Amino acid sequence: MSRARKLALVAGLTLLWLQLLFTVQAEERLKVVATFSIIGDFAQQVGGERIELHTIVGPNADAHVYEPRPADAMALARADVVLTNGLMFEGFLTRLIEASGTTGKTIALTEGADILRDPEGGHYHFYGDHAVFHEAPFDPHAWQSVANAKVYVENIASAFCEADENGCPLYTQNAIAYLAILDDLHKEVGQAIAAIPEGRRVAVVSHHAFRYFEDEYGVVFLAPQGLSTEAEATAADVASLIDGIREQRAAGVFAENISNPRLVEQIADEAGLTLGGTLYSDALSAPDGPASTYVELMRHNATTLSRVLASD
Amino acid sequence: MGRKPLSLTISLLVAGLASGSAQAHDDEATAWRLFIADHSEPVVHVFDAVEGKPLASFDIHGPASLYRSHNGEAVFAVQGSSDVVTAMATGIAFHDHGDHADIEIGEPRLTGTEIEGEYPVHFVEHQGHWAAFFDKEGVARIFRERDALAGSVEIREVDAGVPHHGVVVPYGDYDLVSEPHPEDPSNLPIGIRVQDRDGNQVGDLAECPDLHGEAATGNLMAFACATGLLIVRSSEGEPAIEHLPYADTLPEGKATTLVGGRGLQYFLGNYGPSSVVLIDPSEEEAFRLIQLPTRRVHFAVDPIRARYAYVFTEDGQLHQLDVLGGEITQSLRLTGPYSMDGHWRDPRPRVTVAGESVVVTDPLEGKLHLVDAASFEKTGELEVEDTPFSIVAVGGTGVVHDHDHGHGHDHDHDHDHDHDHDHDHDHDHDHSH
Repeated sequence: MSRARKLALVAGLTLLWLQLLFTVQAEERLKVVATFSIIGDFAQQVGGERIELHTIVGPNADAHVYEPRPADAMALARADVVLTNGLMFEGFLTRLIEASGTTGKTIALTEGADILRDPEGGHYHFYGDHAVFHEAPFDPHAWQSVANAKVYVENIASAFCEADENGCPLYTQNAIAYLAILDDLHKEVGQAIAAIPEGRRVAVVSHHAFRYFEDEYGVVFLAPQGLSTEAEATAADVASLIDGIREQRAAGVFAENISNPRLVEQIADEAGLTLGGTLYSDALSAPDGPASTYVELMRHNATTLSRVLASD
Repeated sequence: MGRKPLSLTISLLVAGLASGSAQAHDDEATAWRLFIADHSEPVVHVFDAVEGKPLASFDIHGPASLYRSHNGEAVFAVQGSSDVVTAMATGIAFHDHGDHADIEIGEPRLTGTEIEGEYPVHFVEHQGHWAAFFDKEGVARIFRERDALAGSVEIREVDAGVPHHGVVVPYGDYDLVSEPHPEDPSNLPIGIRVQDRDGNQVGDLAECPDLHGEAATGNLMAFACATGLLIVRSSEGEPAIEHLPYADTLPEGKATTLVGGRGLQYFLGNYGPSSVVLIDPSEEEAFRLIQLPTRRVHFAVDPIRARYAYVFTEDGQLHQLDVLGGEITQSLRLTGPYSMDGHWRDPRPRVTVAGESVVVTDPLEGKLHLVDAASFEKTGELEVEDTPFSIVAVGGTGVVHDHDHGHGHDHDHDHDHDHDHDHDHDHDHDHSH
């Protein structure tokens, strides 16, 4: 065999090997479904290029009232790992999992997090002239505390390691690096809120998505809606909120990226306040927005609160 | 106006229907009811689908197409040839919240509400409001379901201009109104205009040549046109309409009947005589065509097993359609042939889903066929006198709340709960003109 032919053979075999390697790597990507965008970001931070991610409820969308598409069920059917928040946050999930027939492992990422009880303990549904109370004892918005977000990340790393042993060193390494970023973020948010004069740390939002933020960083949030955007605010809720704003001297009213701002605009108007901007509660922004990752989301919320509440 | 109990014989009671017992757990109950209109007699029969027994029969004015409301509290009999829509309370109110459900069970009854007008055909619900469009007047009469159940409605009229085969959808503070064909209103409408409550048009006409067929799935609405679908989304409380053209890959054709998915957001439509089309407006490839072995008679979605829909074809077969795979997964012969030759309103089978059973009317044999939805095997038949035709089912499994003890809450307000709004109906006629 001539030298040239040998070289051609070696080159050909190398190319074939690389193609095979690429194919195997592509096939081995862990198929992950995240129920909403914030969890999707956590999953991407931990999984990097080794996972194939499908996020069900995308940027600026409201998981409380989401209606799944056939494509979501198809992604679930293929999934190795399904990452959920749990605590009844994703009302659509049970039926979607059933429709998909998925055999992927479903993980509730709030497992092990420091969970707040809902002081109201649930919400009402109204049928004609009567009301029905539904118990929902826990507040699901746990990611609004960075300390809890770290638990989500640790749970994701464990789930990925269990499902893909070979990828575990990478997942662990990514998770450690990201947890360090979250530590810094926690300090940064704390400092931004500490800069607000104590008497001005009261804000109004449209639904109770920020109680973990309140608990962790010391801003009080008032809201006309409860823990879910599904149960609508009543005239009585709004009237009581206006009283609360006056009593507690709320210094800012904020829209939420997942909600129609009309209600909070009306509240701001009645309370003699102006709308202070948009906070990101249950979803990231679009990629070109100010909160396209969890870190940006928390940073944006902290600086927006700090800027508006601290100013006269 | 209860009718004398009919001598309805139950030839075989079905494991499938009976499998959901009336009281499943401590405070949980399962109840399903079938409402069946006759093809030529002015009557609606009500069956307890769990027990397989007749519950009631109601005299109405003429043959009817039946429509159920989203929460199942009301069934309406649209009697085109008798110029009236009659409201019935099903006695069952089912509220599905995804992670849990509530159910209330009482007696079925005529509520006393009747909406009169010349030739009602298209009948549409949106968030607890219904619009009956009276073709020979070109007027829609809109009322609240809650009032219809209470027996006294306040009617709001929307005048579409001229008599035509039209539709109006009450959409919050707006109405979506069909635009009649400008040269010949006996042709199908040419689009949808948005009107405010004063009747002023908002924005441009959304063009939709040969408009016929509408449905809702979750918070999406769609109208079928010769060129594609009009998709209506709520944009900060206002309707935002977008045209979704048929894909180039589809053969020549159009949809004229749509139903909306329950539990999954999609539309299922007819497309040509021997196929159906699955439509997911959020996908780049929004249309998936499914060929059928013969011409299609009727189709329905499964509100419980969201993955499936059912299509009945003229060779007497019921087909299970996998919405995810986009293919027919099982077929079962149930009836003799029902040719699609002849008039669109000739008596032919209709399909609905009641709990664990798919139920198919067999008008010429005077019976219902019951098919277990899980195994897709026939489990029994119910005999119904005369010519059972249009059929809807209401019910579910949910928690029964005792309103007298403990759950009452002093919310002094008028609260419209934002349910989504698809409904079963059998208005399945092709308009080829």
